[in-house]
Amino acid sequence: MEWLDWSLVSSTIRMVTPILLAALGGALCSRVGIFNVGLEGLVLVGAFAAIVGNHFTGSLFLAVLFAAAASVLFSLLFSYMTIGLKANEIVVGVAINFLALGLTTFALRAVFDVKGAFYDKDMAGLPRLEIPLIHDIPVLGEIVSGHSPLVYLAFLASILLYIFFYRTVTGFRVLAVGMNPVAARSLGLKTTRLQVMAILLCGVLCGVAGAQLSLGQVTMFTEGMTAGRGFIALVAMMMGQSHPLGILASSLLFGFMDALSIRLQGFSLPTQFTSMLPYVLTIVAMFFLKDKNGGASSNQQSAR
Amino acid sequence: MVAVKELCKSLVQPLLAVIIGLLTGALVIAAVGESIIGTYQEMWKGAFGNFYFFSSTLARATPIMLIALGLALAFRAGVFNLGAEGQMVLGAISATLVAIYLPAPGIVKILAALVTGIVAGGLWSLMAGYMEAKFRIPLLISTLLLNYIAVLFASYLVSDPFQDKSGSAALAQTVMLEKGAWLPKLFAGMSVHSGFIIAIVAALLLFWVIRFTPFGYEVKMLGHNPFFAQYGGIHRIKVMLTGMFASGAFAGLAGTVEVLGAHYRFVDGALTVPNFAWTGLMATLLANSNPIGVIFTSILLAAFQTGAMGVERNTEVPLELASVIQAVLILFISARFSYSWWKQRKKKGGESHGVA
Repeated sequence: MEWLDWSLVSSTIRMVTPILLAALGGALCSRVGIFNVGLEGLVLVGAFAAIVGNHFTGSLFLAVLFAAAASVLFSLLFSYMTIGLKANEIVVGVAINFLALGLTTFALRAVFDVKGAFYDKDMAGLPRLEIPLIHDIPVLGEIVSGHSPLVYLAFLASILLYIFFYRTVTGFRVLAVGMNPVAARSLGLKTTRLQVMAILLCGVLCGVAGAQLSLGQVTMFTEGMTAGRGFIALVAMMMGQSHPLGILASSLLFGFMDALSIRLQGFSLPTQFTSMLPYVLTIVAMFFLKDKNGGASSNQQSAR
Repeated sequence: MVAVKELCKSLVQPLLAVIIGLLTGALVIAAVGESIIGTYQEMWKGAFGNFYFFSSTLARATPIMLIALGLALAFRAGVFNLGAEGQMVLGAISATLVAIYLPAPGIVKILAALVTGIVAGGLWSLMAGYMEAKFRIPLLISTLLLNYIAVLFASYLVSDPFQDKSGSAALAQTVMLEKGAWLPKLFAGMSVHSGFIIAIVAALLLFWVIRFTPFGYEVKMLGHNPFFAQYGGIHRIKVMLTGMFASGAFAGLAGTVEVLGAHYRFVDGALTVPNFAWTGLMATLLANSNPIGVIFTSILLAAFQTGAMGVERNTEVPLELASVIQAVLILFISARFSYSWWKQRKKKGGESHGVA
């Protein structure tokens, strides 16, 4: 049973990657005062674009780049609608989700001429990196080594984002915009530009999340393959209080519960309760941490 | 007269958006290499082509309309309720269990189920409202989270304690309701059921409440300007809580009516997969939270969906045509594509806009 448990941790790490990346993107948006419900759509677009890029260029690097670019295009639309036209961000986010689902399905038909799913056995997925020394250490090697590069990138991104927010000048400015846009503007900060940059960077992260989804675990695209992961990322973001390291922890919890509920299916235990636990915990966490998270949502209330 | 004028005004924008949505739809149809006119003809046939298809469209519009009405009230009061899905599912499962296990004649079962559905949906929604009022947990977040909990809980109930174990395949669903507890169909052999009448009556009722009662006035004031409303002596929390209860109650009713009128049992996923909740949100936005407008917009959105099903049956164009058209519709509505905006745009000196 011992090795079974360690593989549980390893599969947690794999499952958590798309959620973690998207949640970090959501945190960037929430830190500039924008509640991005469109994560689901952005990840889906990234997943599709990654497959397209891989199919036509044959290069995995270009595929990931293409995924990021496609998601950035969608987040450009999001930022233009919300910031440029002052449209309600929830509404635009919902619309982006529908649009992504519809357009990827159409594009699947138009580009590959298939229905439902596209799979090409010649197409290579993301390679598994075997870290030289660590790979040979018994337990640690199994957990840490042998993932796709994007998995490591995701963990790196959360640390980089932490450094960005709390150790750099631009990061402080971004936080200031989220806390009080009016005050930030009166200090001479270019709030609009910072907001747009944050949304576009969110697009990059979501695109990479999509690439991991379609090229990392399996090498295929199916219609609506995100299956709610974008919304789970949104919840992980809330639970982590939009703090990069908090999100790392909450995403790991979600990933672990996910992996656990798959494992529990074998024992005919009700998996609904394990899946429910992260949401319940998030609500409980809100009771204690309610003050920090006022920014994005209080804006929302007054916008109507 | 004022009401008619307001209704017309709230219909101009949707019409413009529908045209743009259809144009975008034409683009994606062309991209797949199908005939645009032919596809839209199929869509029309699928939604309104004969009486059977038309009745299916109305049946699909029923839960969308009820959800949209609840959200219309919530939006008017300035509360953003994203929890319609959970409220609908919880209302539906409670109502189903009452309809199955209450030892009473059919009509009593129906009434008890309707009341249960309304109360269950309402209380679930009220809980989010209470958490906002008492602990300042943002509604936006709590309603979204409560969705998952409600859907997963209902899924547990029908896959373990209340599962239908009589069938050969162990599907996650309850047993069938007895015939007496079914909501009657409006026409024999057609899918539209009396839930549609309930929805229409609810729309008229809500219109009356918003327009002619003190509560409706308070809701309107609060939505327009919360500070002024409070200054004018309106109890913000009370109106917010009432609004949350009412919108959850509508969602619960939507789920109940769908079970009693269409499925006759609670099937796991049957209420979440068709995306009733988000479509209801769209219908509200399209109608600018006008209850009478909601009747038309929910039938319109339902028509896109049933029409797209017809398209998928008869052509190579996928069902998701409806998603594309709906999304573009909403993007245009949300951009406040109004004259004032055009004026502002002219003043600034036309900036380009790139909507997919």
